[in-house]
Amino acid sequence: MSAYIIRRIWQMIPTMLGVIVLVFILFNAVGGDPAYVLAGKISSAEQIANIRRQLGVDQPYYVQLWIFIKQVLTADFGASWSTNEPVSHILATRLGPSLTLLVPWLILSTLISIGLALAVAYVRASLTDRMVMIACTVGLSISILVYIIVFQYVFAYKLGWFPVQGWGDSFWQNLVIYASLPIIILLVVSIAPDLRLYRTFVLDEVNQDYVRTARAKGVSENRIMWVHVLRNASIPIITQVMATVPGLLIGAFLLERFFSIPGIGREVILAVERSDFPVIKAITVYVAAATMIFNLLADLMYKAVDPRVQLK
Amino acid sequence: MIRRAPPAVSAAATCVAGAALVAALAVAPARAADPEKVLHLEFEAAETGFDPCKVQDYYSFVVNEGIFDSLLTYDYLARPAKLVPRAAEALPTVRDQARTYVFKIKKGIYFAADPAFKGRKRELTAEDFVYSIKRFKDPANRSPYESFIEGIAGLEELKKEAEKTGKFDYDRKVDGLQALDRYTLQVKLKDTDYTFAYVMALANFGAVAREVIEAYAEDTNAHPVGTGPYQLKEWVRSSKIILEANPGFRGFVWKFEPGTDPRDKEIVAAMKGKNMPQIGRVEISVIEEQQAAWLAFQNGELDVLHLREQFAPIAIPGNKVNAELAAAGARLDRITDPDLDYTYFNMADPDFGGFAKEKIALRRAIFMSFDNAEYLRVIRKGQAMEAQYPIPPGVVGHDAGYRTSIPYNPELANKLLDYFGYKRGGDGYRSWPDDRPLVWRYSSTPTSRDREFDELWQKSVERIGIRLQVDKNKFPEELKRERACQLLSRSAAWFADYPDGDDFMQLLYGPNTHQNNSACFQLPEWDRIYERTRALPPESPERNQLYRQLWRMAEVNGVWKLHDSRYRNMLVQPQVIGYKKHPILLAEYMYYDLDNTRRRR
Amino acid sequence: MPRDIQHTVSPGVWTLAWRRLWRDRVAMVSLAIVALFLVMMVLSGAGLIAKDWAKEVGVNYAPPTFQGPDVETAASGAAAGGPAAEAAPDQPTELPVQDPLADALAAIRGETKKAPGAESAGTESQNVDPLAEVMADIRAKGTKAEVAEARAPTLPLGGDKWGRDVLKKTIKGSETSIFVGLAAAVVAVFLGTVFGALAGYYGRWLDDFFNWFYSVFTAIPYLLLILAVAAVLQQKGTMTIVLILGLTGWTGVFRLIRGEYLKHKGREYVQAADAIGASNARRMFVHIFPNVSHVVLVQMSILTVAFIKSEVILSFLGFGVPVDVVSWGSMLNEAQNELILGKWWQLAAAGTAMAVLVTAFSLFTDALRDALDPKLK
Repeated sequence: MSAYIIRRIWQMIPTMLGVIVLVFILFNAVGGDPAYVLAGKISSAEQIANIRRQLGVDQPYYVQLWIFIKQVLTADFGASWSTNEPVSHILATRLGPSLTLLVPWLILSTLISIGLALAVAYVRASLTDRMVMIACTVGLSISILVYIIVFQYVFAYKLGWFPVQGWGDSFWQNLVIYASLPIIILLVVSIAPDLRLYRTFVLDEVNQDYVRTARAKGVSENRIMWVHVLRNASIPIITQVMATVPGLLIGAFLLERFFSIPGIGREVILAVERSDFPVIKAITVYVAAATMIFNLLADLMYKAVDPRVQLK
Repeated sequence: MIRRAPPAVSAAATCVAGAALVAALAVAPARAADPEKVLHLEFEAAETGFDPCKVQDYYSFVVNEGIFDSLLTYDYLARPAKLVPRAAEALPTVRDQARTYVFKIKKGIYFAADPAFKGRKRELTAEDFVYSIKRFKDPANRSPYESFIEGIAGLEELKKEAEKTGKFDYDRKVDGLQALDRYTLQVKLKDTDYTFAYVMALANFGAVAREVIEAYAEDTNAHPVGTGPYQLKEWVRSSKIILEANPGFRGFVWKFEPGTDPRDKEIVAAMKGKNMPQIGRVEISVIEEQQAAWLAFQNGELDVLHLREQFAPIAIPGNKVNAELAAAGARLDRITDPDLDYTYFNMADPDFGGFAKEKIALRRAIFMSFDNAEYLRVIRKGQAMEAQYPIPPGVVGHDAGYRTSIPYNPELANKLLDYFGYKRGGDGYRSWPDDRPLVWRYSSTPTSRDREFDELWQKSVERIGIRLQVDKNKFPEELKRERACQLLSRSAAWFADYPDGDDFMQLLYGPNTHQNNSACFQLPEWDRIYERTRALPPESPERNQLYRQLWRMAEVNGVWKLHDSRYRNMLVQPQVIGYKKHPILLAEYMYYDLDNTRRRR
Repeated sequence: MPRDIQHTVSPGVWTLAWRRLWRDRVAMVSLAIVALFLVMMVLSGAGLIAKDWAKEVGVNYAPPTFQGPDVETAASGAAAGGPAAEAAPDQPTELPVQDPLADALAAIRGETKKAPGAESAGTESQNVDPLAEVMADIRAKGTKAEVAEARAPTLPLGGDKWGRDVLKKTIKGSETSIFVGLAAAVVAVFLGTVFGALAGYYGRWLDDFFNWFYSVFTAIPYLLLILAVAAVLQQKGTMTIVLILGLTGWTGVFRLIRGEYLKHKGREYVQAADAIGASNARRMFVHIFPNVSHVVLVQMSILTVAFIKSEVILSFLGFGVPVDVVSWGSMLNEAQNELILGKWWQLAAAGTAMAVLVTAFSLFTDALRDALDPKLK
């Protein structure tokens, strides 16, 4: 097992290197030159040159690339080019709000989706099943943008049940008051596809021989569902969840934008607009690392739950 | 030797001392700012930081103006904007045809408390202004506003030296920027410049303390310490800013005189004689989405809202607050921003630029195809006024009676193009006189606002058979290509830094190419006339006449198409007292008041 | 002796699948709806319907016909027009500035048309406003720039801010959105299949390389990848969006196809093909591919739906269709700020059309997947 883990970690290095080089090339080829915006209203060529020197972008590419690699190893990406805030500080402060949104949502979404999937599996192939699935399909065919606009207008403005936007100081205040509507929107958008998928996983299990055997032995339907089927269906479900987690951080940028939540997604968009390379670098590298680590964890969990699985 | 005990203080002396103390306390302004008065404001875009020499965005200025004292400022009520002293005792003495400025600084102004001062009370001196201005020339600060003090003699040498040695010598005496004594500042400029006093009213040139800057070195943006009425209490970047009244602020008494505006009398009645600042706490949220800000105001979460034009039709139909807002007691305060939106042609472009007649005709025809009236109605929702003159209202040099020589006239445009040989092909689109295909490349950013403008240009040039290609770039990219004179056309905007026409006319000055002369317009005759205007005092009719000529020259050569100056609509809740939006001042919160009893709900 | 032994030919995978689909009513309805949209797309692309979608036929923000005309907005719109420029331009200010086009303008206005090269030196006006005569002329003729066509106060599904017909925009928009979805899916599936086939079939270092490339690609946050690709390609048109989506969306297909090829590589029929001397390429694409084609088809269907939805987000980020093209994404983007003004029809039209198509497509994809699944009895 440990040999497997070591080999996997070893394999992360060329991947990380690939990410670094790719990001570097992409940014330098197309990233845009921040010096002109930083230079201000009235600036001469020498001021531009000065700024570029200060930012370190006037050095040859291989030097810049080497600096980038060193930054990854020391996990120190310097300071934002536009606000001078240390990148580590940016990430540390923005991570909180993003997680306040995503962790509760992840927990709720998984629990609800699994619960509903099992419930639907009870009545599989019936009209209810069909209706629910069609409702899900309709639900996921509406763009998240539409949900956000309409929900913010109806529930926050017209009905006044939630604040229209904003973020507070204390964790509980944020969780209960400000994050509620965004989390609800996320749930509405995610439960539909998740339910469809988990239903497939559950049905795959329900059709297996061991379930028929259990029924023949007289085990109650409840126990079959909640103990046996759930245990086996949880493997693909967990894999699925783990694989999508790293992408979530940035993925919630639409909500952060509309609800003025100071999270990582919003920060990324700001950084791209301002060609703020240190921030883009740091976020890319961290998300890439998180993706690889979560994939590894998913595989390990897979093996832990199902000993038959052979890890290559 | 036995030391004799000091004589007991006599009872009389105690009485006198006591009385004097009471009198002093009565006379000295009582701490005015009420911590119960909390003002909620919003920013449409994120701020950058609070080191006055390092930032260039509007929102950072709003905060900096409240924290730092510049030498001068503007009268809260007077329109057009009038310079008045702030940290200075009076307006500067101007000598040698506006080449020498002498400021006398008020005594007894203290910086807010900060550990960098090591427990001592730190008074503001002329040296602080010398230091603060020198910082703009330090290459390590890469200040975007450096060029505003380029005219000060002797600073350029210091900068060049710093570039060589890598360290800026703040202790070196510079002839052009000197503290004659503890409270007297003398500035000597290389050339006549009547606008320098305005520059000293900018929030950027507020005084900072050397000890603070050196103590916080790399993170000066997060540690603003000034002599102004507010200090930074809390800062969640790009999200929330909280200002609290500076307990050490000297305070001032509200005593502005009413102007011609009928609202002034009401404001004066409500505010006169009050000790300022009244508002104890200012909470600013960054709200980027228009809908969110508008809804937040209606929910009572904001006290003052800059109403985005999208919502004007429902919030202020007919330019009055709608019934719902009126019932809640909200008011509308509206000014014309001293800004200008215009579209330019790159005069250095090999195909579209230059002064050949057929090129001028092409540019002029394209400009004449654009209907400003439709633009104002549909895109600006009636919340802007058409600009016929490059100097907007409220700025010295504005000419309300000027009429353009290139009005909206697609018929004439078509005839002009036909006349100069831009023949239409089978698909209806014109080509160059030498039959090369003609494509007008117009640049804009990928925002929804720019997209609306693109759509209108698309419609416009369809009328005259010109093919349009919209190049989408991020703003930094656009700026870079524009500075290199590689962008053909773009719609740009310019917001006045100070209320003088020179701020706008310099946008067409030849030597400013590669900087703010976005059209890369270089006409020696034009430049000569412009240089003459620099030597004239602002209010002179001669300068105004020269400006008219300058603008007409640019007009007939098809350099710019003027669009509009925007209205700024501020919605104000009933609890805000004495509010009047100033065209240049940004931190009006130090001049008005809150009455919490008037909050609805 | 038995005569005419009936040779029953086993129905192939596709025939079986089709039979199963035919029996599934929901699938047939969905297919019909999708077909309807596709027909609409073709007609629109050929210019037979919605060709003049960009024409401003209604007043600004014309409400839908069933709602009735909006008197209030029209009135407040006029009032809010404010002190805009008047229709007829005023006399330009007189200034001692020479207009380089003075003689050209005079010639246009005048009877004789002179060629630009043959100007006579003395006719250039000096210190007089060069356009005064032209302007007087125009005003005398009472020229209005455009013939003011009557603008409809209502339209079937309402109008947008310029007064364009939302119904026509929705139809034309479907052409763009569906095209983007399909084309991007083709690109993504093509890339994913080729990469997956190469990786799964050849194995060893080629597989390692593709796996590494796949890891790098999926490690970079999707948003950043999109923004980077968008920046590289610049904004040249609808094809840009197709490429952005296609070049970033192949990873799922790659994983699946690689798995399939790994599975099939060792099967007997492949060994048989080897025995008869089929080349690697032939084995990959002639022998194995038909057996994985059902996976490819289902993936294409799934990706089409996903990309139609992604186009909306791309429009929001500013990387949507160019200004002379309309798509559902651009409509929804415009509709963002319209809802608060009470103008709900563009949001409803584009939202509903997209929901109907995506639902139908998704249901059909499900049915297709079930029909093609050999495990189903």
